Order: sequence, then structure tokens, then C-alpha cells
Amino acid sequence: MIVKEKGAAKNSIEAFRWLLFIVIALIINLPIIATILTSFKTTADINSSPPIFFFSPTLSNYIEVLFKGNTNLLKYILNSTIIAGGGSILAIFLSFPAAFAMVRHGIGSSWLLPLVTNIRALPLIIYAIPLYLMFQLVGLLDSWLGMILVTATISIPVALVLFVGFIQDIPIEMDEAGRLDGASQRVILWKLIFPMSRPIVIAVFLLSFITSWNEFLFGLILTTKNATPVTIGATFFVTTYGVKWGATAAAMTLSVLPPVILGLFAYPYIGKSMLSGAVKG
Amino acid sequence: MNKIKSLINSMVVGLFTAITLLSISASANITVLAWPGGPAEEALRKVVDHYNKTSDSKAELLYFSRDNFFDKMLADVAAGSKDFDVMLTATYSLGKYAPFMTPINDMVNDEVLSTFSQGAIDTQTYQGTVYGLPTDLSLHFLYYREDLINELLSNASWQATYAKISSEYLGKEMKPKAAEDWNWDDFVASALFFTRSINPDSPVPYGTVLQMKNLLFNIMIWQGTAASYGGDWRDADGNITIDSDAYRRGLKIYKDLFDAEATPADSLSYEYAEANAAFGSGKVAFYTQWSAAYADFIKPGEYPAIEGNFTITNQPAGDMGPKTHFHSLGLGINANSDKQDEARAFLSFLGTNEAMSMFLKEGGQPPVTDPIMNAHAGDRLDMLMMAEHTAKYGKVMNGGTEGGAFAIYANMAENFTAYWAGDMDVDTAIVNVTKFLEAEFAK
Amino acid sequence: MSLNPHTERQQAKKFLYGLCIFLAFMLGFPSLANLWFSFNDVTFHNLTGEGFAGFENYRKALGNPKLWEALGYSLRFGLVATIFEVGIALFMVFTLHPLLLRKPWLTAVLMLPIMVSPALMGIMYRLILNEFTGIIPGYLNLLGFHVTLMSRSMIQYTVIAIEVLQWTPFAFIILLTARQSLPYELEEAAAIDGAMGLKYSLRIVLPLISPAIYIVTFIRFIDSFRVFDHIFVLTGGGPGSRTTSISIYIYKLFFQRSELGESVALSFVLLVVSLTLLYFGLKLVVRKEQS
Repeated sequence: MIVKEKGAAKNSIEAFRWLLFIVIALIINLPIIATILTSFKTTADINSSPPIFFFSPTLSNYIEVLFKGNTNLLKYILNSTIIAGGGSILAIFLSFPAAFAMVRHGIGSSWLLPLVTNIRALPLIIYAIPLYLMFQLVGLLDSWLGMILVTATISIPVALVLFVGFIQDIPIEMDEAGRLDGASQRVILWKLIFPMSRPIVIAVFLLSFITSWNEFLFGLILTTKNATPVTIGATFFVTTYGVKWGATAAAMTLSVLPPVILGLFAYPYIGKSMLSGAVKG
Repeated sequence: MNKIKSLINSMVVGLFTAITLLSISASANITVLAWPGGPAEEALRKVVDHYNKTSDSKAELLYFSRDNFFDKMLADVAAGSKDFDVMLTATYSLGKYAPFMTPINDMVNDEVLSTFSQGAIDTQTYQGTVYGLPTDLSLHFLYYREDLINELLSNASWQATYAKISSEYLGKEMKPKAAEDWNWDDFVASALFFTRSINPDSPVPYGTVLQMKNLLFNIMIWQGTAASYGGDWRDADGNITIDSDAYRRGLKIYKDLFDAEATPADSLSYEYAEANAAFGSGKVAFYTQWSAAYADFIKPGEYPAIEGNFTITNQPAGDMGPKTHFHSLGLGINANSDKQDEARAFLSFLGTNEAMSMFLKEGGQPPVTDPIMNAHAGDRLDMLMMAEHTAKYGKVMNGGTEGGAFAIYANMAENFTAYWAGDMDVDTAIVNVTKFLEAEFAK
Repeated sequence: MSLNPHTERQQAKKFLYGLCIFLAFMLGFPSLANLWFSFNDVTFHNLTGEGFAGFENYRKALGNPKLWEALGYSLRFGLVATIFEVGIALFMVFTLHPLLLRKPWLTAVLMLPIMVSPALMGIMYRLILNEFTGIIPGYLNLLGFHVTLMSRSMIQYTVIAIEVLQWTPFAFIILLTARQSLPYELEEAAAIDGAMGLKYSLRIVLPLISPAIYIVTFIRFIDSFRVFDHIFVLTGGGPGSRTTSISIYIYKLFFQRSELGESVALSFVLLVVSLTLLYFGLKLVVRKEQS
């Protein structure tokens, strides 16, 4: 309510809002907070029951996980970065031209757009098995390229919808200016519209990167060791180190850091993408 | 726009270069897919590090998650994966993976036989073909808190409570016994005694911790119970004998303990790591567990709550005395691998006295010959007991090494844990398992 | 001097080629493959099939009672989780909206859970729910509650709770976006008319953002229906098959029981059913939105 409440009522309502915010923020973020704290505890501190709340922090878990050389955490992080980044870029370059054609010429908007948005809703396991068998035949199992193709596929629906929404808001006069100079559609697309779409392209990249980074099922089925993303790699830690929660917590903190940081910039676009998608789709 | 284009161009080039470089550098090295978790994993890492110092071809270790380890390994080898050259073998899965592995009968030379006993090699042999070198002998012990059991044996008021509880729950007044002499009634009575919700004076919250997650390895632990009453998969004529007194009694013991809350309520999701956490934090009086855990618990400073206060012995006895399931884990060669020579070189190294002595010292449990054992076992109780227990109490189920053994264990896990969870009655569970065994062995 | 519109259209058509070819390869081809595999007898030892199997795989797949259990579970899971998520999100929008309007960066804090991979979230919960070393039972014990959140009676609630706690922010941000896009004049007009607080929220805002509510309910239900990640790492579908969702069921069918034909047939059936339901579901949502 923007309308201002009066006097004392206003203060207590305000305080209530703050309290509610803090309580909710704490509850939903509890696992993240606990994991980060655990990553700084010593093994003895962790094994104590009941859990202790005040402790002297240590970096030993991070050192063990990053530098001891027993683990491949850095490789998994590299894999995730390449897979998520590559997939997002690929999705952008496939979707942007298509979105332009849909908006400016109405090509494909009646069948391709709904089809693509439907993809987002299907249980991925449906595709996982035939993709596994297909990839095995062409040798794409456990490869960066294979995983990039998968993450691009997952990112295309959101990319397409966001691009369509954005391009629709670009006045047709912009195109006209290019046309007057005799430019072809291709030139208009890449030299005019694309540069103007920088904000949405960045938003799409961020959202796709996060979603791709967090992909689990395909990573589980389609990789063994070379292209294993960090979401799977972190699960190796749980059982590999048995009761060593400290190392596991450190590994997980490092694994969630990139998407969480990127998420701080990308979240406003989530609302827009979902709402515009349904209206236009 | 051009800037972006060229940026992307260089990224793509960089990407392909990186991929190429990485694949080139990896060409002469081999990958070893081994069993994750526990001291055996750390011991293997040390052995591999040592190997890498002295060999041209480097060995790199790879681990899957325990939960779907064998599923993934099967899917990968069936797909012709070359991602690992040396892979895990297990007595109960030899039949299943045999079509995808390279026989290594010719590698069993004098050196190997001086490291491993013939009996140990046999546990890695299927229909006459040797598929792996045995790196770990796995069986089960009863891990218990000496301080608590000793107290129980000497404290008169505790014994009075013990008698009361046993007469209430088991129908007869019982006296505590030394752990190595226990039968399953003693196990149950003691578990009830040490559970605070039943006995408020108990020094620990739980008498025992059972591993009841829907995981086939947990059934292997439980099998000792059924076997101790004479349970088996089949009889000498090949009839399926799951529907037996032995199986029902064994299943009931776990169910009763769970219902009486003598094991944590979360036990239905527990396996190796959680059970160790429970015992290691001092909250549980005793439990049956894989032999591998011992080397972990004796590490100084890691488990302050139980340090110096626990030991191991044989599982409790049934009508046929104490029994334990056992099997060996080993390493063999992926038939799809392009690096057969390098893989064989690595296995040869593993088969040397030097390698296995190191493995033993670092916490592994290799089934080595007596000379090595005597020289290096030190005060590792698990190693000293291993040979004797396997010989005296070891039980391999009739059919437990066949190709379908793996699927059988998985099916048992699904049905028996459903029974323990209260989702299925015992008769249905037994019928389901019997049907499955009949179908498997008929193939 | 401008180009012929027809020529331009021809040029633009090409822009779709990349996307269409790509999707045909990544999605069209596997769908056909599903179809082909489902009619053959495939095993891990012979991936190209040992012979035509007719409808055998479909019969086996649909005749398995465990399939219907898993479907029922996914349905229940989806419904319960969605109701809670949307309900809590609505509550949050109404109560926190003014605060967030003044300090928008606070929203970021509420968004963190959806940035974490659900699988890793599951592992984090495994850590903190451990009866002996986890902080949740630890805290609750101090308060006098002795809980075992992974026991057979609690596990179903626990996995739903984890889903709700992670994805309510998702529903929240969508509803918040809808709320914040309402014109300011509306508030002023309402204030003049004396409609304030709860009455304002319920009778004016709620109907106006109802399209967003329908959309978010629809999306979250679909996402919860196909849940896999966090349940897989936490319980593996167990105990027994108590928490086996349809995705976990198909996964296990393929990887654990090596029932290739059956799992593929099932995948194809699910594909067709999902597409059909989606088609009608979307129509429903769009119609409601337009009314």
C-alpha cells in the first residue's frame, strides 16, 4: 500500500513488514547460510552434536577442496562455465534472428513460438534417454559440445520469448531508417536492432547462464568425467568424503557462487519473461 | 557489433584449442574408476600417487556417486565408453560386467600369488575367468562401545533394568553377555536397553543404528542376519528359498527394532555415511557395519566422542552361529579401452607386494597373504580378524555370484525396505522377491 | 527507395532456419527415436534392437502399477507444492510490496534460493537435516521439539517443504512484477475513495493481477510435476518408492532395471500426453486472462 498510514499505526506496520521480511529471508536462505558457515568449520566442530554456533573459522576445507589435487572441483567449475556460457551464446544466436522474423514479418509466430514455449514444460527425462542413445552413436557423450547443445536447447524458450517481447517494443521507424539506406534485412538485424537490444541480450545471457549452470539431469546422464558440470561433481563429494561435511560444504559454496552472484543482476527479468511469454504465446 | 563478433570468434577458437590440447595431453594416461568413500579411497589415492611417480603413463582416479554407481558404470560400458580404462569389479557383479571386461588370467603370476591368496583371486573369478585383482575384502563386523558394554556387564542396577526390558519385549528375563557371544536376541535386548525413549537412564539416545535406505548394499549387511538362521537364496536343488523361517525372522528383527525406535527414525534414509556419523558422534551404542569403517574410526582426533572406547567383533549368532556376507572389490580392465597395455601395467603394479603393503598401511583392506599381513597390519583389528572371520563365518548366497545377482539385491532392497517402512506386508515382500529370483534364474 | 517487401520477407525467413534445424535435431529427432526404440526390443547389449516388439513395451510400461503410483505421486506433489507456493507468494506480495518499493535491492535477497541448483539445494538440506549434526534438529531440540525430518512419516512433507522453500521466491517475483506494473493512479483513486489496506488489496489488486496468478500457478505446477533433482539426491526415490516421482521412476527404469524399451515407450507416452494437456491448459489460461 503506497497510501500512507497514519501516525503510530504506520510505525508498527512498518516494523511488522521489516520483521516479516527478515524472517522469510532467513528461512528460505537457511540452507545456503548453514552451508557457508559449515564450510568454515573444522571437522571436529562439525562432528559435534548438538551443533555449535560459535566457532573459530578455518580455511582448511577450501584449501583441501581446491588445492589438494585429489579433487577435480576446478575442472568441474571450468566445465560448468564453458557449458553454461557456450549454451547461452548459442541460444542467443539461434533465437534472436528468429524473434526478429516473428515480430517484423509474422513468420512462424503462430506455430514455432507456441511449440518452443511448450518445450519448457515437458519433463526433460523424456528426451534424456533418446539423447543418451543418440549421443552415444555419434560420440557426443561426455563432451563439452554435447552438453552445450543441451543447455542451448533448454535456454531457447526463455530467450525467444524475451527477444520477441523486446523487439516488439522497438518502433518500426528504426527499421525504416535502415531501409531508406537500402539495407537488407540481415543488415538491419545485426547492425541496427541487435546493438539496440543490448540490455535484453545481457538479460537473456544471465538467465540462460544460471539455468544452464544448474542443470542436473542431463549432466548426470550424458557425462562421465570429462564434461561433468559442477552440479554433479559436487554430489561426488558427499559420498566420496563420507562424513567430511566441511569439504563438501566448501565445494558446494564454490559451486553455487557464480549463479548466485549473477542472479543478483538477473532476477528482475524473470518476472517480465514469464508474464510477457504467456501474453504473446 | 564487430567487436562482439570478433570476441565470439576468438572465444570459439580458444574453446576448440582448449579441447584439442586437453585431449592430446590425456592420450597416454589411464583413468581408473574406483569405489568412492572411506579409507580405501584415500589409500588408493596414495598408491596411485606413488605409481605416477614411477611410471610414464599416469593413472587418474575417477569416482561416481555411490548411489547410482553401478547403474552408470553399466550404461557407460554398454555404450562403449572409453572414459575409463580400469574399472571396479565386485564379486556380485562379475557376471553382469563380464561381457565388457578383459580377462586377466594370464596376469596371475607368481608375484600376484605371493600378494593375494588363491582364495582371494577366486572371489574375482567368474566361470573360470579372472576379471580383476581383489583390492578390498568386505565383510561386516559388530562395532560396539566397550565402555558401555563393560558397564552393562558389571552394573547390577543396569542389569535389573535389562532383565525388565527383555522380559517385557522378548518375553524372557535375560542377562547381558559379552558382545562376541551375542545372539540376535541379545542384540535386540541390548539395543532396547540403550535407547533412551525406552530406558530413560540410558547413557546414549539410541541402542543401534540400522541402515535401511533403499540401497542394495544395505541388504548385504542385513543378509548376515538371515544367513545366521540358515537363510539362503536357493537350496542345493535350485529351489528358491526366500520364503523361509530364516528370512522372516531376519526381516522381523529389523522391523521390530525400527518400530520400537531403537534406531533413529531417519534410518530409512541411512547408509554408510549417516550410520558412521551416528556412531561416531557417540549417540549410538553399537551397530553392524562394513569392515571398511574401522580404519576411519581409528584415525586420531577425528571422532573424539568414541576415541579409545570402541572395538569390533563378529556379528551376533543365529541358530547356525554368526554369519556374515562377504565379497571382494577389485579393479579390472574395460574391454573397450584403447589403452590395454597401460591398464595392464597399472594392474601389474597393483599386484606387487609393495603396492598392496602400502595400500594396507594407508587404510585399505586388501586380502593379502599372511607374510604381508603379519608385516604390516600392525594393530589393525579389522585386518587381523578379516581372514579368520571370512573363513569361519563368511557366507556367499547360493546364486550370489551369478549375472543377475546385482538386480536381485536391488529388488530385495526395494521390497524389504518397503516392508520396514510399513508400506508393504512381509508376505507380499517375500512373494515379490521370490518371483523375481525365479525369473532371474530362469534366464 | 525501399526494398521489395516480398524480398525482405524471403530474407527474414532464413532467420528461422538455424533455430528450426537445431530444434529438429535436438528435440524432433529424439522424439522420433523414442518412437522407434519403443517398438523394438532393445537391451544394453544390443542397442540397435533385437527385433520388432510391437506394442509389448507399451503394454509392459502402462501395465506396471508402479507407474501409476509414480504418476499419482507427481500429481499430488505438484498440486500441494503449487498451492503453498502461490499462497505464500501472494501473502508476501501484499505485505512486503510497499517495503520493496522503497528498497528494491531487498528483493535480491529473497531471490537467492532460485539461483541455487535444486540438486545442490537437496544436498544442503541433507546436511542441515541430519539428526545428529544438522542445525535444524539441533535448534528444534533446544526448543524442546524432537523431530526426525527424514523419517518415514515426515519425509514426504520434507521434500515438499524443500520445493516450496526454494521456489516460492519464483512465484513471488512474477506476482510482484505484476503488482508493480499496476498504474499508480489506481492507488491514488482508491485512496480518495477511502478504500485502504486489506480491502484495497483483496478487492482491487487481486483481480487485476489474477492473470499473473493463473500463469504462475500453471508454470509452477508443471515444474513441480516433473521434479527430479532434489528428491533424487536426498532420498533416491525412497524409502521403498515413497518419494518416487514420474521422472525418477523413468530414470530408474532405464538405468537401474535396464528396461530400455519400457522406459522409452513411457517417455513417448508422456510426451504425447504432456503436449496435449499443455495445449488445452494454455488455451484455458489465455482465455481466463482475456476475460
